[in-house]
Amino acid sequence: MAHADEAAIFNKDEAKVNWHDKALWFVRNKRDNAAHTVKGWEELRNLASGIKANVMSNLDNYLIQFEENAQKNGVTMHWAANAEEHNQIVHAILLKHKVEKVVKSKSMLTEECHLNPYLEAHGIEVVDTDLGERIVQFAQEPPSHIVLPAIHKTKEEVDTLFQKHLGTKPSNGDPQYLTNEARKHLRDKFLKADAAITGVNFAIAETGGVVVCTNEGNADMGTHLANVHIACMGMEKIIPQEKHLGVFLRLLARSATGQPITTYSSHFNKPAPGTEMHIVIVDNGRTEQLSRDDFRASLHCIRCGACMNTCPIYRRSGGHSYNATIPGPIGSILSPGMDLKKHSSLPFASTLCGSCSDVCPVKINIHEQLYKWRQIITKEVPQPVVKKSVLKMAGSVLSSPKLYGIAGKSARFMLKYAPRFIVYSKLNAWGKARELPEVKNGNFDEWYKKRQKNEQ
Amino acid sequence: MSSRASILKAVKTNKPALIPLPEINLGFFDEDIDLVETFIKNVQFVGGRAFVLQSVSDIDTQIKSLYPHAKQIISTATASQLGTVSISEATNPHILESIDLAIIHGALAVAENGAVWIAENDIVLRVLPFITNDLVLLVSKETIHLHLHSAYEAIAKRDRTFGVFLSGPSKTADIEQCLVIGAQGAVSLTVLIL
Repeated sequence: MAHADEAAIFNKDEAKVNWHDKALWFVRNKRDNAAHTVKGWEELRNLASGIKANVMSNLDNYLIQFEENAQKNGVTMHWAANAEEHNQIVHAILLKHKVEKVVKSKSMLTEECHLNPYLEAHGIEVVDTDLGERIVQFAQEPPSHIVLPAIHKTKEEVDTLFQKHLGTKPSNGDPQYLTNEARKHLRDKFLKADAAITGVNFAIAETGGVVVCTNEGNADMGTHLANVHIACMGMEKIIPQEKHLGVFLRLLARSATGQPITTYSSHFNKPAPGTEMHIVIVDNGRTEQLSRDDFRASLHCIRCGACMNTCPIYRRSGGHSYNATIPGPIGSILSPGMDLKKHSSLPFASTLCGSCSDVCPVKINIHEQLYKWRQIITKEVPQPVVKKSVLKMAGSVLSSPKLYGIAGKSARFMLKYAPRFIVYSKLNAWGKARELPEVKNGNFDEWYKKRQKNEQ
Repeated sequence: MSSRASILKAVKTNKPALIPLPEINLGFFDEDIDLVETFIKNVQFVGGRAFVLQSVSDIDTQIKSLYPHAKQIISTATASQLGTVSISEATNPHILESIDLAIIHGALAVAENGAVWIAENDIVLRVLPFITNDLVLLVSKETIHLHLHSAYEAIAKRDRTFGVFLSGPSKTADIEQCLVIGAQGAVSLTVLIL
């Protein structure tokens, strides 16, 4: 289903849409406040953008350097060309250790690879330990936001889910009570897990170490209690040197939630004595995206979610409407590279207002890339007949001042005199759920000419 | 061809011409601010609390008054004598589940974000600062850095095993964006500055 159709479903519950819109805008404001208190914020963004551009231009050498250093630290390295190979590698490690229970902290990569269903099909229990992820796991849904996975759920819905899965008492969605119950439930899971899977926020070529950021402490509770730690990373997570963490960690949490840094920024270099650490480097379409001059910079993304929080479309359509692992503006430039046909409506889920590019901590030109994907998609993917013919008509009207004048006049005439049922008919998408502006006499062109005459 | 070889080959073919790595000019981030005051303000902002103590002998008095009910206490900091449970590298980390309070020395702190750097040799067991119910960190005034750039310079020569920048208590806002302190890690954080 196209994004607009999915969005229409989300929009059926107006109160929820309004809440969703406001909640995310609130996060966007917190981001602004945090950014404005940092001296040299724009310089940090320039540096982050420049470092990532360097990484892409030297990625093979950095990957080799990272692998060498990680191996020296006693970490076992794996390479996966695609999602399937990634899942097989993870499963093989778990089999070797006869693992039955796995705790997992947030990793968009393992979502992208659909690791959970794969492991579950092989009889392994996988528990997502980030609270938001646990909520959507109970609901059997994918996350709707990369930083706030359960932002689409009301507290009452969480209450019902917890009653069903954790046996909690009805609490009218008391967040304190529900979080505390989740804490007890997850403690038990951490203590019983045989292995822990985490994502990777940054992988440092110079040291072979990885950094994992959480607010809840779930990645650390998992990894430090289990005997096996598997860290799964997209190959673009590489940064050259440890000092560059200074740049990225200053940007990440401020852009994501307005915090000055996440509660925990854990630096893993060597496995603890008696334990194993594995790192799986995954391609899954990334080398292909690297080849595209226009879209390469989408790989700079550090997964902060700022572009989602600021996006007027995302805020009013919800993450699930994108039907992609990464929703929102950044997802809309990443996903077409993975499957152009399936995700062909996503670059159109934008007003091209550019707010996403303005807040992006690594300065990805998101809105320009959205526009560029549109150019490709209209050529390569068959477009609906109505859209095609309307745009053709619009093209000829906009290229002729005379036709443009006539069109404007008739539109104003219709708005003024046509009966409501015609103006607000199904054919006029602009009349959906909104009142059209009142028509004043004349247009700008006429007003301007008259004004010039008066001045003479 | 192995996946490793095919991935590296594809990257080599697909990457653009080399773009130079930018230099970090710290001049952009220089600020003349009170480091202790900024640090305390940021610790509070992230949900923790911080106190400046006059002398080492005040540490245990302060901790006892803040956590009067803590019984199972691990202190890996030499400056506190309140520990009731001792651990070694050989201790099974799972038994730390019942720990009420951990008292840990923080190698350095960062004013801009209220974070404290905790190195592996200061915690004995990696899980300690996360699994403990409450957490007290001891930080020396002289080790508070302005920003992360300066902090990373200070830890550049460490023996790299495990380490964490810890800023505030564990928290989540995953239920309707309501902030709840105490998710999976420590439910409170107190930083004592000496």
